[in-house]
Amino acid sequence: MDFHFQDWGLWAALVGASVGTYLCRAIGVLLSGRIHQDSEIFRWLAAVTYAMMAALIVRLIFLPVGLLATVPLWMRILICALSFGVMISSPKRRLVAALLTGTLLIVSYGALR
Amino acid sequence: MSSENLPYLDPSEIPLEGSAVQRFKNRRDAFWSGIRDASGTPATVLFFGMVGFGAMSKTNGLDVWLTSLSSLFIFALPGQVVFLEMATGDASALAIALAVTLTSSRFITMTVTLFPQLHDRDRNRSLYAHVHLLAMTAWSVSMREFHSIEAKHRLNYFVGIGLLCWILAVPGTILGYFLAGRVSTAMTLGLIFINPLFFLLTFTEVKPWVNRIAIALGCIFGPIFYFLDRDTSLLTTGLLAGTLAYMIDRKLLRKKPGVLG
Repeated sequence: MDFHFQDWGLWAALVGASVGTYLCRAIGVLLSGRIHQDSEIFRWLAAVTYAMMAALIVRLIFLPVGLLATVPLWMRILICALSFGVMISSPKRRLVAALLTGTLLIVSYGALR
Repeated sequence: MSSENLPYLDPSEIPLEGSAVQRFKNRRDAFWSGIRDASGTPATVLFFGMVGFGAMSKTNGLDVWLTSLSSLFIFALPGQVVFLEMATGDASALAIALAVTLTSSRFITMTVTLFPQLHDRDRNRSLYAHVHLLAMTAWSVSMREFHSIEAKHRLNYFVGIGLLCWILAVPGTILGYFLAGRVSTAMTLGLIFINPLFFLLTFTEVKPWVNRIAIALGCIFGPIFYFLDRDTSLLTTGLLAGTLAYMIDRKLLRKKPGVLG
């Protein structure tokens, strides 16, 4: 793949993304105290965000580009399933343990293959 | 102001002293407590998230400047990974900016729930600067702790948490960027796997059914739109699956309160 690092398009995207993200934070300040968190617009925005994050994760795990694509699909799914299992094994959620499980498993796979 | 050395004028003051009402001596104390509370798991998770992001960016072939400035100015890992994924393809600047902004829309909800808890004196224009420090980490710790902190000390506590996380973001990103490729392939694999795994694990915390449906629909529509048009697929999936989940919740689920608890 041939990338042009100083490509103005990417910089324009970064400026747009940064301004857009800051605007979301600023709109929150503007609205705080005037709008309820259960408003319909927030329900809709949360649903859009979660749908987009789900699509992103499916893409990162099932359809990766680059190095992660060298790990077979079944191995990626197995490692995710094991980490997920560690996470939900406690009602208090073992986030750090689950993250370590997944990371160490993929490192071990990479070292042993 | 502490009245440790003064005799109590009224017995009712006794339980207030040293309890939640006066948890910090002053604003500086509140600020440093914020830093201390953040420096355990929250900052560690965020730091490694940024290291992972830097490594992903390197293996995807992005510029180190673009990568580290995104940590400084976007300062929201989900948005940054969306940026990275779309920038790796041929998505237009407008599509990237829109998708990242939509991912960041959760900041509106976060601010709206957090900032009304601040003292009236702190609720002024300076919040437009402080709000940049808001990210999932600072928000969740603050939401947990604010009820036991005096209103006048809350902003300083929040700034302590947020500032530590923000300061760590760029060094973490640069570290990840330079580690990837220099360490073994196996280690690099571990680094670039941190964020996808982290995002996946956070889904176990999602409680409202509308958001769970949105996740399920996103998983179904995501790959379909990916093969139709890769460059806009995150945006179209989010808007379509999200709106559909919202409509399902509004038209079907909320009318039958007994169905799904």
